[in-house]
Amino acid sequence: MMNRAPVDILRPRWNPAYFRRAQRGLALVTLALVAGAVVGRLIAGALFGGHPPALILLSVLPALGAMITLAGLAALTFWRPIARFLRRFAVVVFYAAVVGLVALVWVVALAIDRVDGLARAMPGGELTTDAIYHGLPAAIRFRVVSWLLWPLQFPIVRDLIALVGIVGFINLFAAYAIWWERKVAGRIQSRLGPMRVGGWHGWAQSPADGIKLLGKEDLIPAGADRVLFRLAPYLAFVPAVCGFVALPFGSGWVFRDLDVALVFVLALVDIEVLGVILGGWSSDNKWSLLGAMREACQLVAYEIPMGMALLVPVMMIGTLSLTRIGDAQQYGWHSWLAFQNPFAFVAMVAYFIASLASCKRAPFDLPEAESELVAGFMTEYSGFRWCVFFFAEYAAMFIVSALCVTLFLGAWYSPLPASWGTGLANGGLAARAIHGVLFSGPLWFVAKSLFLIFMQMWLRWTLPRIRIDQVLYACVQVLLPLTMLVVLGQTLWQLLVTPGSAVAVIANVLCSLAGAVLLGGFYVLMAHGLLHRRRLVGALAVDHLPGA
Amino acid sequence: MLEAVLFYLFAGVVAVSGLAIVLSRNIVRAAAWLLGALGGVGALYFLMAANFLGAIQLIVYAGGTLVLIVFGVMLTSRHAAAQARPRRWEIIAGTAVCALLFAAMSAALLRTEWSSDANPATGGYPIAEIGNELLTTYLVPFEVTSVLLLVVMIGAAYLARPERK
Amino acid sequence: MSTRRTLQSAPDLLADLDAEAMDQGKLQTEEMLINMGPQHPSTHGVLRLVLRTDGEMVLETTPHIGYLHRCAEKIGESVAPYQYVPYTDRLDYLSAMNNNHAWSLTIEKLCGIQVPERASTIRIIMAELNRIASHLVSLGTYGLDMGAFTPFLYTFREREYILDLFEAVCGARLTYSYITPGGVTDDLTEDFVDRCRAFLDYFVPKPAEYNQLLSYNHIFIERTAGVGVISPRDAIAWGLTGTCLRATGVKWDLRKCLAYDIYDRFEFEVPVGLPEGGVMPVPPGMPPVVVPAGVVVGDSWTRYALRIVEMYWSAHIVRQALDRLPAGEYRAKVPRTLKLPEAEIYFEAENPRGQLGFYVVGNGTSIPSRVKVRGPCFNNLSIVSHVCRDCLLADIPAIVGSIDIVLGEVDR
Repeated sequence: MMNRAPVDILRPRWNPAYFRRAQRGLALVTLALVAGAVVGRLIAGALFGGHPPALILLSVLPALGAMITLAGLAALTFWRPIARFLRRFAVVVFYAAVVGLVALVWVVALAIDRVDGLARAMPGGELTTDAIYHGLPAAIRFRVVSWLLWPLQFPIVRDLIALVGIVGFINLFAAYAIWWERKVAGRIQSRLGPMRVGGWHGWAQSPADGIKLLGKEDLIPAGADRVLFRLAPYLAFVPAVCGFVALPFGSGWVFRDLDVALVFVLALVDIEVLGVILGGWSSDNKWSLLGAMREACQLVAYEIPMGMALLVPVMMIGTLSLTRIGDAQQYGWHSWLAFQNPFAFVAMVAYFIASLASCKRAPFDLPEAESELVAGFMTEYSGFRWCVFFFAEYAAMFIVSALCVTLFLGAWYSPLPASWGTGLANGGLAARAIHGVLFSGPLWFVAKSLFLIFMQMWLRWTLPRIRIDQVLYACVQVLLPLTMLVVLGQTLWQLLVTPGSAVAVIANVLCSLAGAVLLGGFYVLMAHGLLHRRRLVGALAVDHLPGA
Repeated sequence: MLEAVLFYLFAGVVAVSGLAIVLSRNIVRAAAWLLGALGGVGALYFLMAANFLGAIQLIVYAGGTLVLIVFGVMLTSRHAAAQARPRRWEIIAGTAVCALLFAAMSAALLRTEWSSDANPATGGYPIAEIGNELLTTYLVPFEVTSVLLLVVMIGAAYLARPERK
Repeated sequence: MSTRRTLQSAPDLLADLDAEAMDQGKLQTEEMLINMGPQHPSTHGVLRLVLRTDGEMVLETTPHIGYLHRCAEKIGESVAPYQYVPYTDRLDYLSAMNNNHAWSLTIEKLCGIQVPERASTIRIIMAELNRIASHLVSLGTYGLDMGAFTPFLYTFREREYILDLFEAVCGARLTYSYITPGGVTDDLTEDFVDRCRAFLDYFVPKPAEYNQLLSYNHIFIERTAGVGVISPRDAIAWGLTGTCLRATGVKWDLRKCLAYDIYDRFEFEVPVGLPEGGVMPVPPGMPPVVVPAGVVVGDSWTRYALRIVEMYWSAHIVRQALDRLPAGEYRAKVPRTLKLPEAEIYFEAENPRGQLGFYVVGNGTSIPSRVKVRGPCFNNLSIVSHVCRDCLLADIPAIVGSIDIVLGEVDR
């Protein structure tokens, strides 16, 4: 009590009556679910002979539900100690949550793997829970586990889990990319960014903002086309999610291994344009309309250099399949496609610039230009709909960065050649985990994409905005001839230079060195800023002058 | 079984969208329904394992042609609900022509022998084959198409040139 | 034409289409009236700009003002000169010290009050510091208009130190009422000189940072060079003063040309706009500003860069003032009820945004019978309708931002 800050007095207090009602409701629901689980077990045993789907539906699911509601009840009842704990150990909680999510994904992948192995070993037909039970390692040999793993043998269940994983990843990533962007923006602007919500560096800012946006009034302008106004945000968001269907996160970590994956992802990024145009049109607002028009112009124009720059790695490997292009880069830093020859390097830079324009990021963020058109096509959108547009933008950012990483920067492979890790790859659980961290795995893929997204954020908070006619000038008169030259150069290179010859090796070495120097320079800059952050006056806090 | 369900679903989407385009009074909404139709056709291509064609359908039609149409609609209609009211004789003539067309197409479809063992392209790498065919067997249409596109670009640039004052 | 019959409910659609124009193959697009403001992030204050645009091109701009009118001139007819000082604070609220200075000089000239030298020196220190602060805001918000979010925070970080200094002498951060007829309201604090010197040492390397980040940035130059060019003839004809006038090449600064107060005892130069390749003069020891290629005299970039150079010169003047700060009285002995003679006076001073003029008519009592405020931003803004024609929509914030208006002064 004594140590509470004065501002706590201003914090809203929950209505005690609602509080007690919520507690009673949750307790009742928990008891009901527990009873239902027990009864369901008996019924499943008696009527269905212990058939797994019945067991799961009638017993396991209610039990899981009971656990969730019990956790909710505990959180509600003991919120004060929990809040105190969170505030003191927020750092640990944050990182533990990240590690926990990664571990959860890994465990699910392992389970699917194990069930797959067992199913293949079966001569044919369905895998029974008994077979699963006996196929489990001794440490986790429980009936419950075999019931939980039984549905994983059906492709549709696996597809559903993968979809849940994808959508969950997108939402978590978008939410935390917003927080990260605010911190990065703050640091670049010599301030701190969100610091209050959740205690440690405002890590709970995103969920808090999400809850606030969900509670906002649902405003539709009077003269707006109601159907299209409602449809537009989802037209922008859904293609971004669908793009993840063909995006490989690791060897075997792809939802559908399409042989035209690259064209598929490009097609879906293309359709987002429509969501933005319809959003601007249906707002019945001249400003939104202008923003939508400029946006469509810009996006459609920059698709051409984007596509042409992406032709270079396609030509090098000879396939549109992202998994095969990724697998071709497993031999270490020098095998990454960006470092094969100078044309590939320039193609990567050209693609990065074109992808900035296609995500409407600064310096190409004219459609969202706050100071000119208020918020462009998003002017009339508020609350959850605005949130969906924002999520669509961050999902698109991830997709274009992921494409750049897959096609130019080694996909999910680390700079170490994968051949050094074959021993680890075939070992036990711990060995495979280490292999995933050191050599190849989704962690590398996500980390590299996040690096490119950090580049995008860095550019946004440094450079001013380019005018629309200059944007189009840059596209048609600079980027397009550049990419055409690069494609031509790559063609000639492939025709005239035999792989393994002196010229190819020298080019490879030089480009790899250039890439390494650039990356090293980046880390040196970061380290310098981190070490000397107290020396740069006003970098993190407004220090007062001597005598103040 | 799943394939049949998906086929009927997407075919239904295409059919409903097509009807909605024709029956919609609001031009921009018609354009939005067109997205549904084109997207549905793309999905049908994917169902037939013609992945490349499906992706190209989405890029060229849904992402290119449709954007162009929506742009044109947005720039030339001042009110969002620019309505086109057909007159009675136009409705009758249109219905008659559509009915005739429908009869002719159904007759053609019903009389054809659809061989049931037509397999989608499996094995090999269809995209490489498409590329090869485009540059060997179908080279002349390919080049003619590119010349046509060039003519279109020049025409557009000429029409949109700034006025000399 | 068959289209006329079917699109019957939108007959005005075809009103813009001219049959002859269609035959000649020209494409007619329609004109829109776009309303920018009064609430708008990039019109610096409550300004309403009505733009007649054709697609992305702006054909005509009409500014509508008056949203911040607070009857400042009428109030001058009912309060005494001392009481009017807070009202002058709120004219151009970003350069309140300069407004106070101009008003105090007007009343002193009207009443023949002699101000001690220490008071004058303190006044000049405050006025020049406020010039630096005002230009910092102008530069920061201009970068914000152009989409560069970061320089805004850097300039405001520097401005925080200046506001700390002002708070030490008079307790206020924005509206000071510190410079009054007769002198200043209170003496400087003991550590003010040291703190001010420390601030100047900290501040002088900073504009080079802004140059690296914004002024020489290729994108920024592309957006501002050659945009909104004003000729010297137009500038004088439309009554432009201050940085806008000097950017067109006219060397006119009241601090030099009129040398009011004790400005004639300080050494400083008046920078003007130069063509590309020109080197803008800066005080000794400070990095020069070179005009990059593509810049035209009188365009937005020149106006923006001139403010940076003026900050350098203001810092130079403050250093000289701190060095020569004499001991003595900080205000003259002025009667409590100051009776204004039956005379009239018009006096102008050089504010950061131009020449602020006060016209006071005394009638023997302590309350003037007429106070007229000549706000520089009012005249500077008037050229917007002349300049913002046949430009792109994205050029409007570039031009309006570079003219640097504060609506408090436009509307009074």
